[in-house]
Amino acid sequence: MTIADGFKAAALLFVAAIAQVSIFSQLRVYGGVPQVVLVTLVGVALLRGAVAGAIAGFFAGLVVDTATLGQLGLTSLVLTVSGYWIGRYGETTGRDRGHAPFLSVAVVTFLYAFGILLVTFMLGERAPAGPEMRSLLPTIVMNLVLTAPVYALVRILLRPRERADYATEVQLLG
Amino acid sequence: MAVLGSSLQRSNPGPRPSRVRSALVRRIVLAVLVIVALALLTVSFRSPTSGYLHDAQSYGSDALRPFQVAAVRVARPFRDAYNYVDSLARAKSRNAKLEQMVRDYRGQALLNASAVQQNNDLKKLLQFEAGPTYPQDFRAVNTSVISFPSGSFTQQIVIDAGSSQGIHLNTPVVSADGLVGKVTQLGHTTSVVTLLTDPDSAVPARDLKTHVSGLIRHGQGGTLILDRVSKDQVVNKGDWIITRGTVDRRYPDEYPYGIPIGRVVAVGTSDIASFLTVQVQPVANLDSIDAVAALVPKHPRAKP
Repeated sequence: MTIADGFKAAALLFVAAIAQVSIFSQLRVYGGVPQVVLVTLVGVALLRGAVAGAIAGFFAGLVVDTATLGQLGLTSLVLTVSGYWIGRYGETTGRDRGHAPFLSVAVVTFLYAFGILLVTFMLGERAPAGPEMRSLLPTIVMNLVLTAPVYALVRILLRPRERADYATEVQLLG
Repeated sequence: MAVLGSSLQRSNPGPRPSRVRSALVRRIVLAVLVIVALALLTVSFRSPTSGYLHDAQSYGSDALRPFQVAAVRVARPFRDAYNYVDSLARAKSRNAKLEQMVRDYRGQALLNASAVQQNNDLKKLLQFEAGPTYPQDFRAVNTSVISFPSGSFTQQIVIDAGSSQGIHLNTPVVSADGLVGKVTQLGHTTSVVTLLTDPDSAVPARDLKTHVSGLIRHGQGGTLILDRVSKDQVVNKGDWIITRGTVDRRYPDEYPYGIPIGRVVAVGTSDIASFLTVQVQPVANLDSIDAVAALVPKHPRAKP
């Protein structure tokens, strides 16, 4: 990932995070909220890999937590792991697959909700799973609707890597 | 045999393959980021309202504020257009309803004006000492809502005013319609307001007509519950619920008396429940608030 790509990804995620807390969080449909920051992160991680995904997730989470004066580190933690996981998927199984962004968004929306719930519960805070699970399906649907335009925008700004940059073999470590 | 017996030095291992190195780097980056996130989480959890990290977060929030305000302004025309179309679709039926309400309230207003006059006269006679009353004794810090944290288990908004505008923790926040919540996190120029519908919110309230007191808590589907109302009390559908205000000076209430909270939409009871189930519809539209007013006392009283 070049420095220019880094700046582009940072700007994109910054805008997405601000839009998330200022605009999208208010659009509740059947309890679900579209998560544009998560969809943008999926785009960045799929196109630039696990390391960039993890760093992007951490940065986006930090912006969200700071803007909302929320529990600092909570969103960062979950988005870091999400970004890493999507990045790995993009580097290996998901490369060149047309359905990869949609599949990643659907799965990571579920994992993100579960992750936030788990960390909140572990902190001893109130974390009722019922409302979160009820709003999950509308959230996934809205995120999938956002996926195509957001991913297309991310693809324009961060052009897909050359084939040679991807992993070409699986190597056992040890 | 001679070959087998001779000592043979192993060749030095070459540099690690790039794939192994990149895997290592990847894992180190992930581990470092997770550790930093956990450290931030731990520190902010241990001191959520003070400390260096809270100050840094507050300054960060101040820095992000212009971007949030800009985003809200960009989105506003679209929201206004949607609201305009929505209100046009429902205008006719609402107009008839509002005309009926105006007729009812006109009669009510005359009675109220007479009662207020009588009340003031009696207070003067008794030399009655009261705490700050709403809205005369409060200065409204009018401000816009700049962000709406998502998540099903917190009901909060971030407003564009903080300690530099005279707001402090637990400052009550109202909209044009009624009570919205109170300030629970304070920054220099931004504050977090916990809404009435938050699971942690509890507001001492009373029925304006029957004077029954209770606690307003969150209910199902964006409604509220007037809790702790014993079965022998009377609460009627359509009654106004307002804030109760301070009853005992030793325990001053955070909300002044008389802020409208909502109207009773259902009253129920069951054999096993100790209290009535009073469902209240909030008057303030908590799902889409653009602007609010934080109520700062004009003459803050010393704590007893």
